[in-house]
Amino acid sequence: MSNIPPTPLAPRPTVAPATEADAAPSPEADTDSPPVFETKQLSVSYGSALAVADINMYIRRGQITALIGPSGCGKSTLLRCFNRMNDLIPDARVEGTILYEGLDLYGDDVDPIEVRRRIGMVFQKPNPFPKSIYDNVAYGPRVLKMKVDRMDDLVEQALRRAALWDEVSGKLKKSAVALSGGQQQRLCIARAIAVQPDVILMDEPCSALDPIATARIEDLMVELKQDYTIVIVTHNMQQAARVSDITAFLTAAVNEATGERHGELVEFAKTATLFTAPADERTEAYITGRFG
Amino acid sequence: MTETRRVFHEELDAIRSDVIRLGALAGEAIEAATNALLAADLAAVEKVVANDRVLDDLTHDMEQRTCLLLAQQQPMAADLRMLVTVLRVIHEIERIGDLMIKVAKAARRLYPHEIDPKIRGLIDRMRDQAAAQLRLAIEAFADRDVARAAALVDMDDVMDELQKELFQAIFSVRSPDDSTLQLAVQMALVGRFYERAGDHAANVADRVQFMVTGHFSFEPSNADG
Repeated sequence: MSNIPPTPLAPRPTVAPATEADAAPSPEADTDSPPVFETKQLSVSYGSALAVADINMYIRRGQITALIGPSGCGKSTLLRCFNRMNDLIPDARVEGTILYEGLDLYGDDVDPIEVRRRIGMVFQKPNPFPKSIYDNVAYGPRVLKMKVDRMDDLVEQALRRAALWDEVSGKLKKSAVALSGGQQQRLCIARAIAVQPDVILMDEPCSALDPIATARIEDLMVELKQDYTIVIVTHNMQQAARVSDITAFLTAAVNEATGERHGELVEFAKTATLFTAPADERTEAYITGRFG
Repeated sequence: MTETRRVFHEELDAIRSDVIRLGALAGEAIEAATNALLAADLAAVEKVVANDRVLDDLTHDMEQRTCLLLAQQQPMAADLRMLVTVLRVIHEIERIGDLMIKVAKAARRLYPHEIDPKIRGLIDRMRDQAAAQLRLAIEAFADRDVARAAALVDMDDVMDELQKELFQAIFSVRSPDDSTLQLAVQMALVGRFYERAGDHAANVADRVQFMVTGHFSFEPSNADG
């Protein structure tokens, strides 16, 4: 399956292209891959509580970007911004800008449902629908009324891409809930792939899995990045080091005046650099286990 | 910090201390081997050979402990660089011990011939130079001191000059008969062993540069060259 060509969500001629001056910092020597997302002064609040502040970063096409940091640093909040999942949380407020393919993701005329089709998500705990394996994969295309020549082919293709086909091809009508945890998570990835997304967001996709299932998902991520841009939140630094191209380290900063904590981006670099010779001492302290 | 992490950092400190200890043992080997050679003390030669076992055992022990830490703790950043550095420098230091066995064993081959006074003087200076270079390299490692590590490059030039002087002194010895030829070959080899010991010390310093900064900024020396 080839990747769908990046097309704008909606014509938005009023959005000015990014200029050199306000461009987000980018990891060095990384200019060959175009940005899919660009955040500018991105902040998210829940009610009056600031969750993350002033995030400026790129997510580049065809790469795996890992978001790491201690609990409460806002990495999942940041991830949810990329497909507007925060819209579903009462009192959540997103400020600043996220450009997707150069267009404002939070623009008034952008359909959040279409956003979530283009930008799929896989969650921490595998969450298959209580339906058959086949129906789980076919669910998205049916609901979205996608034009599909043969649903059987689409289901097979998605399951193959998710490295699950060989294990389930003989029992597609069996309940998805009967699968192992690792298989369920790959089914969720197949379900995300079935609607032909551009980007896959993964929120700690292996934290509920054993090491073997984890290794399979990691292999799968590396395979999938040929066709999809992937952003992963992980608590497992070794996982980030193994699979990602770029890593962003976030931490919880304390507002000295109010004592309240909010997440901020500390360092954003090539993974190989960040895990062997980080530039910021807070990154060093975190990844060497001296805090957090 | 968790207990597991605290134990990890204590073990890192212990390994760092053992590198310093290994360096001290190699320094003692330089001293003992040179003394055995210059004094033609064959009993002292045996002692140098036997003591090298301590260096070898400590090196192997440190390598195993470092591998275990890599497997158990998956260290990152400065911790990772420190352990990778340890894996490299312990063998540089251990090689200095091996070279000193060769220096000491030269005493057996030369026995009972006297070493020319000028050559003795140069061997003395090469001993001091090798010991000083090793000491500086170990101090740079212990203090994570890049500036001192960089100074090793200049010091290695001094050792190279001493080796040249030694070769000239060997060639200037008159009336080459069989015994003086044997002496000349042995002395040239001994000079080479000190020079290589100096190279190993410079390699330690080079690794310190990487350990501290994550980059190599000066040319590595070639201990085998």
